[in-house]
Amino acid sequence: MSRKKSRAILGILGLIAIVLSACSAPPPAAAPVAPTAPGGGAGAAPAAGGPVASGSTCDALVTKAYAGNKLQLAAETDQYIEGFRALIPRFKTLSGIDMNTEELGYTDMRQKATADFVGKTGNYDLMTVDIVWSGEFGQNKWTVDLKPWIERDKAQLAYDDILPVMWTLGSWQGGQFAFPLAGYANILSYRADVFKTAGVGVPKTLSELQAAATKLTKADGSQFGIGLLGAKGPAVAQDFMAYMQQYGSSLLDKDGKPALSTDANLKALEGFKSLFKAAPPDATGWWWADRNDAFAAGKISMMLNWSIAIKNHKNPSMNKFASDIETAFSPLGNEAGKYGFGGWGIGINADSKNKDAAWMFIKWLTCADTQKVWIDNNGAPIRRSTLTDPDLVKKYPWFPVLLQSFEKGDGDYRPRQPWYSKMEDVIGTQVNAYLVGQTEAKAALDEMQKAAVGIIK
Amino acid sequence: MPARRAENAVRNIAALAVAAFFLLPMVWLFTTAFKLPRDIFNLPPVWLGFEATLDNFGFAFGQTQVMRFVLNSIIITLGTTLASIVLGTLGGYAVARSRLRFISASSYFFLVLLMVPPVAMLLPFYLLMRDFGLLGSYLAVIILDTCYNAPFVVWMMSNYFRALPTEMEEASLVDGATYMESFLRVTLPVAVPGIIASVLYCIIFSWNDFIFALLLTSPATKTVPLVILGQLSTSQSAWGSLAALSVFAVLPVLLIALVLNRYFVQGLTAGATKG
Amino acid sequence: MAAPGQMRVVKKRRPDPRNVTHLVMLAPVLIFVLVIALAPLVFSFVISLTDYRLTDPTQARPFVGLGNYIKAFQDKTVVDTLLNTFLFVAGAVVSQVVLGLALAVLMSGETRFMRTLRSLIILPLSLPPLVVGLTWRALLNVQIGPIAFYLKQLGVDVGRGLLGETHTAMLAVLLIDLWQWTPLLMIIFLAGIKSLPGEIHEAAFVDGASRWQAFVQITLPLLMPVLFIGVLLRTMNAFKIFDVIFVTTGGGPGNATSVLNFHIYKVGLTFFDMGYAAALANILLFMIGVCCAFYILLLHRQQARAGGT
Repeated sequence: MSRKKSRAILGILGLIAIVLSACSAPPPAAAPVAPTAPGGGAGAAPAAGGPVASGSTCDALVTKAYAGNKLQLAAETDQYIEGFRALIPRFKTLSGIDMNTEELGYTDMRQKATADFVGKTGNYDLMTVDIVWSGEFGQNKWTVDLKPWIERDKAQLAYDDILPVMWTLGSWQGGQFAFPLAGYANILSYRADVFKTAGVGVPKTLSELQAAATKLTKADGSQFGIGLLGAKGPAVAQDFMAYMQQYGSSLLDKDGKPALSTDANLKALEGFKSLFKAAPPDATGWWWADRNDAFAAGKISMMLNWSIAIKNHKNPSMNKFASDIETAFSPLGNEAGKYGFGGWGIGINADSKNKDAAWMFIKWLTCADTQKVWIDNNGAPIRRSTLTDPDLVKKYPWFPVLLQSFEKGDGDYRPRQPWYSKMEDVIGTQVNAYLVGQTEAKAALDEMQKAAVGIIK
Repeated sequence: MPARRAENAVRNIAALAVAAFFLLPMVWLFTTAFKLPRDIFNLPPVWLGFEATLDNFGFAFGQTQVMRFVLNSIIITLGTTLASIVLGTLGGYAVARSRLRFISASSYFFLVLLMVPPVAMLLPFYLLMRDFGLLGSYLAVIILDTCYNAPFVVWMMSNYFRALPTEMEEASLVDGATYMESFLRVTLPVAVPGIIASVLYCIIFSWNDFIFALLLTSPATKTVPLVILGQLSTSQSAWGSLAALSVFAVLPVLLIALVLNRYFVQGLTAGATKG
Repeated sequence: MAAPGQMRVVKKRRPDPRNVTHLVMLAPVLIFVLVIALAPLVFSFVISLTDYRLTDPTQARPFVGLGNYIKAFQDKTVVDTLLNTFLFVAGAVVSQVVLGLALAVLMSGETRFMRTLRSLIILPLSLPPLVVGLTWRALLNVQIGPIAFYLKQLGVDVGRGLLGETHTAMLAVLLIDLWQWTPLLMIIFLAGIKSLPGEIHEAAFVDGASRWQAFVQITLPLLMPVLFIGVLLRTMNAFKIFDVIFVTTGGGPGNATSVLNFHIYKVGLTFFDMGYAAALANILLFMIGVCCAFYILLLHRQQARAGGT
């Protein structure tokens, strides 16, 4: 008996020992510049441009008025998370505020933010808000309407420097429920070497896209033309809606009523599926990370994605073919000639007890000088000055393409309505079911229409 | 005799294959925690000869500050285990020994409770905690976890107690002890294996719980499984840091299980093998 | 008993201290569970009769009677999830019990080798299902996972991968569940086998029965109590599967791996349509309740036969 007892005690002591030893190891202090996650390129050199030069005008925006308070940020782990990791330590020093970040995946971000709102727990002071959630957050007044504050601080914000399209990252019926944080343009990234070898030109229209993708797909499965997001849920919904935009079809009719079972949508859906023939078969289950992995491994020759991914594509420690990857405008099929625009805003929780401190953070983060560090740490731009800055353009030669895509960007091709999340779930399920052959195109659209009538009121 | 040996050899090989099936994924997980990003999905897969790195763990400690959340997990697990064992062992004994039909039949009630899917319980519980302002506290998770663990402990311990001979208890009663004293001084010490098994079960359940923690904790009281989830980013698959964090989720319970597994079997099967 | 002529014993009976003690011991857990579990469940039933959405700024709870239930049965997704739940539970329990039994027999030797292997095999039990799901998701990944790689080497066309094809997705989830939980059944069954007296088998051999016959006709029936416990434990847990699906397929592809438990999570805890979710939860509870009643009847009869209680 005592033997067994001592074994048990030993086990528990061992556990305590492990915990204590780990606790006593001081967590390595996060370097102020680019402590990248191992998955984000352990070998990457710290971003040039270091901490914001002291005495810059941006730092002057931060005072110690709220020192001793706490701010909790909920940030979705898109590439810009590294920007937060690099900048928040500096903010903490400048302001004396204890600021923490909770990093969340895409579905968890929405779920936890919503739970925080409906549970009235006020866990988060600041959160990243996907462009498509603008209506939901605005309608329910979950985040603070920043319009009055923007008006008041217009000079500090260098308001006119922010590209007009960026305001869709949180605008809703006249209010601004999230401040622009990271603007994304729908862009084409492709392997210039593969294109050259196959003698294929950069596609400018949808039909050229289809043709190029097909031509670049090898029968033995060693190489595919394009990578697409097919996973059930927001992933496939995003790619399909982008395709619909380029195709020129839409969820709603002229009167804003759900109109999914149209011929245009049917053709778009079928066209979308045929594009998958030029993608690896398991793309029907791909999330963003899976597609990036495949691109980095050289499996796919091009992809339509958000511009924030470009920097990592062109990073040799993350992508074997970095030097061969080029950027081009996304192919257009719609008459308006507009490029898809998306991205994230940063919102202040209506239940937050530190709204002013949170606003101070936003002003500092989005200020022009800070933005340079933001960009260097995988953030995405919101200002014209950032996109035209000579040093940055030298480092990131795709900026001119970005600028033009933003100027002709359409942030509403995915309706930023309060019902969008629910509709996205339906689209995400039905399109995925259609892609894997569980349902027919017409049936999928009819199911979507049936659900839409209940959701879109 | 040679037939016997050949059969044993076949048996051993088959057993080894089975063990490989169950162990290799864990080996993959542990080795991945030590790999550089470029090695993780190298094809053909590199099982052993890779360049080891502690970067992933450095990230886990530094950026993710995993030890804070390990502490949260420990608090919640300890709280649940304590409550469940106390409540469950007392109840289990009553169910095993009582002559009242009502009491011994209540074991079925507890069994039924175990079949309720956590989500069904979570929905109204979430609303209640919201109204009480307890969302985000350790207490909320501990209460709900105990609600699931205590019935199981009742059931497990009642089986265990039923299998214990009653002579010693009867003897102590004759000697003048009250029923409670007899339980505490005579029965409990003998029931330690069963209790240890219940403890192990409670630890596994609460430590590994995900959905209750997902809804009921705040960023400050988050547990380790949630931290792991946060690594499923949309931009790059950070499998290295995922694996390193998983090691934290896995190691403590694994070690305890290794040490205590004999009791687990004993406690679990006591009642069953009596027949 | 009073002797004739003596004063009648006062009929007032003092409660038997034994019963009092037992009641006192049972009370805490019973009260705790009643308050924490039953109250919310009743609350949940009440809510299921309303259209309560937590996201509604007015927090109105309009009464809709059985509207939610009708909506549920008219929804193709819900019907699919019901089916999937049933398929999963049945598949999981059957496959794991059979495999568990086979493993128990295979690894019943008492050599140091076997004992070591056995204690290693039960390690998956201690892992968080979340981590188990993530690990397998990586292993089964078509592009970069080791399993797909080896399969391709063997010339198998992996297609969309086990988790990506509609006809194999559920099987993949069953496989993952099997990987994690079969060892539990193995040790339970093994303990059962070990507790059987050895003479029975000897007698069978002497009579000339084959090993298989001896096993099926003698050992198995004696193992019934243990088998039953295994089936019970696994059924209880199979209805609750969530973490693995959450992290591997998210219910997909299409609705192939969407079980009702998961759908309830989506409706209730991401969209916060509490009324509808509560109705779905009650439907699931009813389904489980039917299984329960069945089991309890069997358990009762089984325990009565074993001379327990």
